[in-house]
Amino acid sequence: MAKPVPRSVVEGFYKALAASDFVALDPYLDENVTWTISGPVDVLPFCGQRRGKDIVLKLLDRDIPVFLEKRRLTPNAMLIDGDRAAVFGKLMASRGDIGRKISYHIAQFVRFENEKVVDYLSLIDSFDAVEQVLGKQITVPGGVRAGDGELVAI
Amino acid sequence: MSYSVSRAVVDAFYKAYATRDADKIAPFIHDDVEWTISGPVDYLPFCGIHRGKANVLDLIEHKVKAVLRTFSFVPESIVIDGDQVAMLSRQSAKRTGDGCTISYRVANLMRFRDDKVIVNFSLIDSYDAVEQVFGQQLVAPGAPRAGNGDFVAV
Repeated sequence: MAKPVPRSVVEGFYKALAASDFVALDPYLDENVTWTISGPVDVLPFCGQRRGKDIVLKLLDRDIPVFLEKRRLTPNAMLIDGDRAAVFGKLMASRGDIGRKISYHIAQFVRFENEKVVDYLSLIDSFDAVEQVLGKQITVPGGVRAGDGELVAI
Repeated sequence: MSYSVSRAVVDAFYKAYATRDADKIAPFIHDDVEWTISGPVDYLPFCGIHRGKANVLDLIEHKVKAVLRTFSFVPESIVIDGDQVAMLSRQSAKRTGDGCTISYRVANLMRFRDDKVIVNFSLIDSYDAVEQVFGQQLVAPGAPRAGNGDFVAV
């Protein structure tokens, strides 16, 4: 049976991740960590799957900030169960080049071994994220965009 | 002592939920449930906020099925902590219009009360879902589209 991860470890990992403190984050990552951000990699190049601590730290510290600066994660819920944790929240950032604020829903599922992250997968509301990053509505060929009176995505 | 949902109840719920049969799901839905699916409601009309048991069962039984018919719902990770449950799943369905198979990830954050779901928040990889539901690549203004040799979203 997998060894449970202490809540203090999960909280320490998330404190470092949410603050983009990569020096503090380093000891929480396994050397062979798998880091997956689900989304359209050709539109949001930071999506996709990476393996290895050095590559993941580069992604977080250098690659993502090219698109999103001043990232902050505000968790709405943190759940811990055995060797797994899940966090739901909002990710807020800005497009540094144009100064636009961006905010979208994110869910993260993390598995720990020996108190280190070995597997991370995040799911984002990618349609909303792409529209905000590009600053334009996406056209769906054959789709009908609702008028102003319609209920809008949450 | 505060209420905690049991793994047995969670297992029974997702097995019922996987059937998409309102009669089997109904015993697990609280009368005052609030059920939210994050996504572009003008393209995926089942997205948005749905309140009350009857509305949620109608959503599952009719509104979702008007767009797609789920035939597989496989949990990849279930995290239970007190009265809350986070679930990461792979959902496969056939488009109602033409029977084409689509598949995308779903994350659910649920709160249980008296062994029934009182709050659900669903997060889907919405860009991927819209592309598959419409059967076309989306037109993201100003974004380069990767060629065939590029890494594709996971």
